[in-house]
Amino acid sequence: MNISSIPILTIVTFLPLAGAVLIAALPRSAARPVALGTALLTWVVSLILLIGYLPRPDFQFVETLDWIPLFGIQYKLGIDGLSLILVVLTTTLMWVSILASFRPIQERIKEYMISFLILEVGMIGVFVALDTFLFYIFFEIVLVPMYLIIGIWGGANRIYATIKFVLYTLVGSLLMLVAILATAFAFQAQTGSWAGAFDLTVLRETRFDPGLQVFAFLAFFMAFAIKVPMFPFHTWLPDAHVEAPTAGSVLLAGVLLKLGGYGFIRYAVPFYPDAAQTFAPLIIVLSLIAIIYGAIVALVQPDLKKLVAYSSVSHMGFVTLGIFVFTEQGLQGAILQMVNHGLITGGLFLLVGVIYERTHDRTIARMGGLAGATPVYAAVFGFFVFASVGLPGLSGFVGEFLTLVGAFDFSPLVAAIATFVMILAAGYLLWMFQRVATGDLSDFLRGLGHHLTDMRPVEVLTLAPLAALVVALGLFPGLVLDLIGGSVGSVLDGAATAAPIRFALWP
Amino acid sequence: MTVPPDFVAVLPLVAAVLAATAVLLVDLALPGRRTAVLLTALVALAVVALAVIAIGGEERVAFGGAYTVDALTTFLQILFVAIIALTVMFGPDYLVPRGLPVAEFAIVLIFAMTGAMLLAASTDLLLLFLGLELMVLPGYLLAAFHKSDGYSTEGAIKYFLLGSFSSAIFLFGLAFVWGLTGSTRVSDVAAVLSTFAAGQGTLSPGLAMGLAFMTTGVAFKIAAVPFHYWTPDAYQGSPTPVTGYLSVGPKIGAFALILRLFVEAMGPLRADWLPVVIVLAAATMTLGNLVALTQNNVKRMLAYSSIAHTGYMLVGLAAWAAGRMEGLEGLLYYGAAYSFMNLGAFAVVAALQKRSGVTSNLDTFAGLGRREPLLGALMVLFLLSLVGIPPTAGFFAKFYVILAAVEAGGALSVLAVIMVLNAAAAAFYYLRVVVYMYMRDPETEQPALRHGRLVWGGLAAATALTILLGIIQGPLLDIVGEAARAIG
Repeated sequence: MNISSIPILTIVTFLPLAGAVLIAALPRSAARPVALGTALLTWVVSLILLIGYLPRPDFQFVETLDWIPLFGIQYKLGIDGLSLILVVLTTTLMWVSILASFRPIQERIKEYMISFLILEVGMIGVFVALDTFLFYIFFEIVLVPMYLIIGIWGGANRIYATIKFVLYTLVGSLLMLVAILATAFAFQAQTGSWAGAFDLTVLRETRFDPGLQVFAFLAFFMAFAIKVPMFPFHTWLPDAHVEAPTAGSVLLAGVLLKLGGYGFIRYAVPFYPDAAQTFAPLIIVLSLIAIIYGAIVALVQPDLKKLVAYSSVSHMGFVTLGIFVFTEQGLQGAILQMVNHGLITGGLFLLVGVIYERTHDRTIARMGGLAGATPVYAAVFGFFVFASVGLPGLSGFVGEFLTLVGAFDFSPLVAAIATFVMILAAGYLLWMFQRVATGDLSDFLRGLGHHLTDMRPVEVLTLAPLAALVVALGLFPGLVLDLIGGSVGSVLDGAATAAPIRFALWP
Repeated sequence: MTVPPDFVAVLPLVAAVLAATAVLLVDLALPGRRTAVLLTALVALAVVALAVIAIGGEERVAFGGAYTVDALTTFLQILFVAIIALTVMFGPDYLVPRGLPVAEFAIVLIFAMTGAMLLAASTDLLLLFLGLELMVLPGYLLAAFHKSDGYSTEGAIKYFLLGSFSSAIFLFGLAFVWGLTGSTRVSDVAAVLSTFAAGQGTLSPGLAMGLAFMTTGVAFKIAAVPFHYWTPDAYQGSPTPVTGYLSVGPKIGAFALILRLFVEAMGPLRADWLPVVIVLAAATMTLGNLVALTQNNVKRMLAYSSIAHTGYMLVGLAAWAAGRMEGLEGLLYYGAAYSFMNLGAFAVVAALQKRSGVTSNLDTFAGLGRREPLLGALMVLFLLSLVGIPPTAGFFAKFYVILAAVEAGGALSVLAVIMVLNAAAAAFYYLRVVVYMYMRDPETEQPALRHGRLVWGGLAAATALTILLGIIQGPLLDIVGEAARAIG
């Protein structure tokens, strides 16, 4: 049997679904091991993809099956370097999250694990779909398990937070559905055929007329800007993060926010390059606002998790900035930043979860002196804080540095503003670390007595792979950059020939 | 001996009447044997379905053009049989604990089905009216089925009064149309109207008034805003399985009427009624959703949401009027998808009310996810389908209607945007039920109920259809495509 005839992308996408069905059928006690086993197996399959992948710009492991031939809708999967690293990021964070949930989650463990595995189906599906209709379906599927995860296993204000999350995301994605359809019709009107009207590889070779580009780009922009989230669409994020259980926050920050960045790179920019050029200045300004605003708001947060959430807004601003300056370094930096943010912020959320599990409190003012009481925890925490600040040698640095280089090519002023914010980032992160870890043990923590234990081996195990990747990518960013070279090139080639659309509001 | 072709064409109707009679006789012969009655009803319905399929193989025109069997007829008649069969399966668990008769329930439903089937095949205005009345009269009866319950009778009276009122308006308009076109045949009316559309002569005020009255009458029946006031009370008061039927059966029936009336008879004037339908659709879905947002009773919430779904289906009609065949196909697909997911949702509500005295308030759902995990999971599926989350039937139906509207362009693309924003708003109140089921604990611990095998069977069928129509669209698309081409 030929290796290429195995539908490996279908397997990696739907393997978690099989695990979810199995958990539903088995008794409660089997939920944890089966979930972890499924997630690890999926991870292994994704690593096989990584090994089998050839660094070429085209899509590989492509599977095509007619689904609704009437409109040329296909079940079409395929990956390039960009999809591949995000798939691996997803599968890695997934088993980490499931492992990290073993102790904190005692209620309804079956439903919890099923939700996580279905979430994984949606997330992997988004990254491997090569058909806009299929992409939309996976994009929406992600919503449901996350809604349940926040709503059932979340904090005190979880219902408000989860409904807000769903409504925000749904408005954006439904507008995107209209844009997907409008694009398909425009394609059909141009070519006279439905074949390829939903096919990513065909659509990105098609140049649409300016009117459609503007409308469709704005609709896609809404969907992805809410997902990233960009200022001023970010207000759902702090609520969702604060209320979500730890593992939910990890995946929310680690993967769900990446759906927005991925959507920009894969769909919005290649499909509508002229409109993307037109709105790029506006998006760059919004990105800068997000970078500054997120950092300033993070500075004053009294709650650990909220601080990390707002730092996400700031860090994700670098992603959109890097995409829309349309330079090679900028785009490379944006992609690297997506991966780094997933690893580092995922790690930070895990660490906040570790301390919350012991103290049932996340107020920074009540912490202090953890370095003495829980040295391992403080060391790991410090490592991720420095990675988030952008310490050279760790991966956060490379992504932000490349983004800034790319931004400098575009406009020195933009780069200067963004660089200035890196000082702010160092400020709020280090100040937070200082308040939490140094000094004498606070009265509140002292009151916990023997409950204040250091990290357990399992907790170290969940953080170790993330830390290892942070170091590896910090020292050898080429590991990722070599993979994404083709994707970056094809996006920039399309953008290079594009010209901003001139609006004539009055003739 | 040869059977006259006219008789062959109406064979499914005859089968339906015989089915009702058979249930009646079984109940008479074996009083109190519920299982026998229900089995008879289901077998008889299967026979009716077979008759519909056997007759529907070719196009037949009977009784001088008043009765037509085409692909649309067959599709709608099968859908009606399926709706009635599911309702019959969901009924007993609710009716028996309240001491309500099961056999009569099934019989009245099958008679209502006969009316709906006649409606689906009529191509004559008078016959359409006859089918409509035959369909809704048993509906009044069903709404008042719990006759010792004040809400049931109140809802039934409102339903009856406004229903008769709207029928009268429809009939009034019909008289004008008949008087000024000289015929009640749908094809003749269309021929007369097409001369106006071609620019020869002008539409007389009387004829315009007649058409407007008929439109108003139909708008009442589908509960389009601003003719929707009867729905919430009638739906909330009725016994829950009846509500499930009322929200689906008469609505699809009224849409059958719309297809014959707007698409076939008034098709030539589509450019004139298109703006009316656009405004009706936008107002119906927006108002239905806005009011549904504030409901605390699930039945009432589903009633208002069914108004919103009417609006979505009207978008399909508008897209057809704007020249897109997909609009009609989308409407039919939506009708089928909506039937199964909505019946499923009502079946869960009814199943929860197995113990008498349980209300359909949101509190009833608190902790359901823990108490009865399977029932809770099914409810989530139906609600997600009603929201339109893939990969469910509700998603594809919405997708197809939006597709048609976007394709039509112009004002219709604005309508498409209004529709998706409405769908997002609707997510709020549907998901509120999920919040109660999974995220709230009940104030008093309720025991898990045991549900009958029929209920599980019906739920399995509704679930399978809700999922399958969302993943494998091909077969139904072929069927609705053929049905749409039969009239459009």
